[in-house]
Amino acid sequence: MIFLDLELKDTPGELLKALEPISSAKGNIISVIHMREERTEDGRLPVKVVIDKIDDGELSSIIDKLESIDVIVAKINEKRRKLDLDVVIIGHVVDTDVRDTIDRINEIGLVLDLDLSMPSPDVESSAKMRIVIDVEKIDELYEELDIISKEKDLLFVKSC
Amino acid sequence: MCEKSLNKCNDFKELKVILVGLGVIGKGVLKVIDAKNDDLFKKYGFKISVVAACDSSGATINENGIKPLSIIKTKEETGKIVNHDFGVQKNILEVIESVNADVVIEVTPTNIETGEPAKSYTLKAFETKKHVVSANKGALAVAYSELMNSADKNDVMFRYEASVGGAMPVINLARESLAGNNIKNIKGILNGTTNYILTKMEKEGLDFNTILKEAQELGIAETNPHQDVSGLDTAAKMVILANTLLGKDYTIKDVKLEGITRITPEALEMANKSGTTIKLIGEVSNKKLEVCPKLIPIDHPMNVKGSLNVAMFDTDLAKDVVVIGRGAGDIETSSAILSDLIFIGNSKKCND
Repeated sequence: MIFLDLELKDTPGELLKALEPISSAKGNIISVIHMREERTEDGRLPVKVVIDKIDDGELSSIIDKLESIDVIVAKINEKRRKLDLDVVIIGHVVDTDVRDTIDRINEIGLVLDLDLSMPSPDVESSAKMRIVIDVEKIDELYEELDIISKEKDLLFVKSC
Repeated sequence: MCEKSLNKCNDFKELKVILVGLGVIGKGVLKVIDAKNDDLFKKYGFKISVVAACDSSGATINENGIKPLSIIKTKEETGKIVNHDFGVQKNILEVIESVNADVVIEVTPTNIETGEPAKSYTLKAFETKKHVVSANKGALAVAYSELMNSADKNDVMFRYEASVGGAMPVINLARESLAGNNIKNIKGILNGTTNYILTKMEKEGLDFNTILKEAQELGIAETNPHQDVSGLDTAAKMVILANTLLGKDYTIKDVKLEGITRITPEALEMANKSGTTIKLIGEVSNKKLEVCPKLIPIDHPMNVKGSLNVAMFDTDLAKDVVVIGRGAGDIETSSAILSDLIFIGNSKKCND
């Protein structure tokens, strides 16, 4: 059996959308546990799906399809695969081309949310970014953040 | 403590100490020795006898012992220990070299750039076959290997629990209570001033400079707070932990460093929105040696408030072990110094 931990947007029809790539790849769904009482930090709903064993190629194709419809595959067989990271940024976030900062991060992970506070034009802004990333790419992301930090004089406060 | 159990070793009754440095910590040590000596004798069978105390003016020396409170009185009333009844104009190195004692307690001001003069005092103590108990992170952060090699070569003990986390048992906890564990990672908040500032900024929504000024007025932050707020103080402590507990040979220059001066109330508010807060965290592992502001979940055991310190060990057997305590203060730091003195006293009792 294969255990998938998914994270879905809390809107109608999302569960059905998430199950479709599995059934169309002829994955036999054994159980679906919709954990409505729990939420991820960005408000998504965790869902545990158990399917019959399928080969690695089919599994990877299912995961690609799920991700293409904005379903986060957080864990496969209890092994964490994706991580939600919060990063607080202090500095001239907008003036240093925030679009470029996001694009560079998106090459490694995916920026899901940006919250920005600019108390006045002459002082540094503060922002919070939520990034979804493959677990094995965290070091790469942190290296890129260090490069951006030096280049744009931004302070990235990362998770402990 | 010595496994041969209390009072069953040799007939040693007195641990003779030279106190170097008569600032806040030095006076705290004297107060604690005065308050605890009778208890020490009952529990461990020996007393601590202060045979010399030094400051930059000179020293007071009496090999039959000097009353600790009389040293404090002279220092507070005249500003110079040389004015004590047993006062002599000798410099500190001469005192360490010439006075017969078991232990030098080194509590002079910290110098993170050169480690001096603490480094020279410590080396002189080792050369003259005296054990050293130190609260001085400067010398340890710049010359750890040199000091340890000298202590080994001269077959004396070097104990420095007070140099990291004040009263919190960090080094001795890891070395003794967690003996046998492989320590994979150590994280901690090891500077009370920065923790106080971030806690107040979060609670009151005020900016860094306003809270720093208030902390200075309350005596929580130093007049020159650079070492604290830049993260250098925490960095020195992380170097000591890395070298002592993970077998590294780092100096303070090896630490990736970022302080808290750029943290804004808005950044703290942002962190709070996602259930986290910002703390100045020191971290050391085989891959990492850094001090920087980090996000930690609000319900995390390391989210300690005010000027408290915390250290968290990730170990192979015991898993996560967290210790929380007061990282500064004269009596609190003296508690750690006293524990090192007792360790040496018990070892001496069994080994001499």
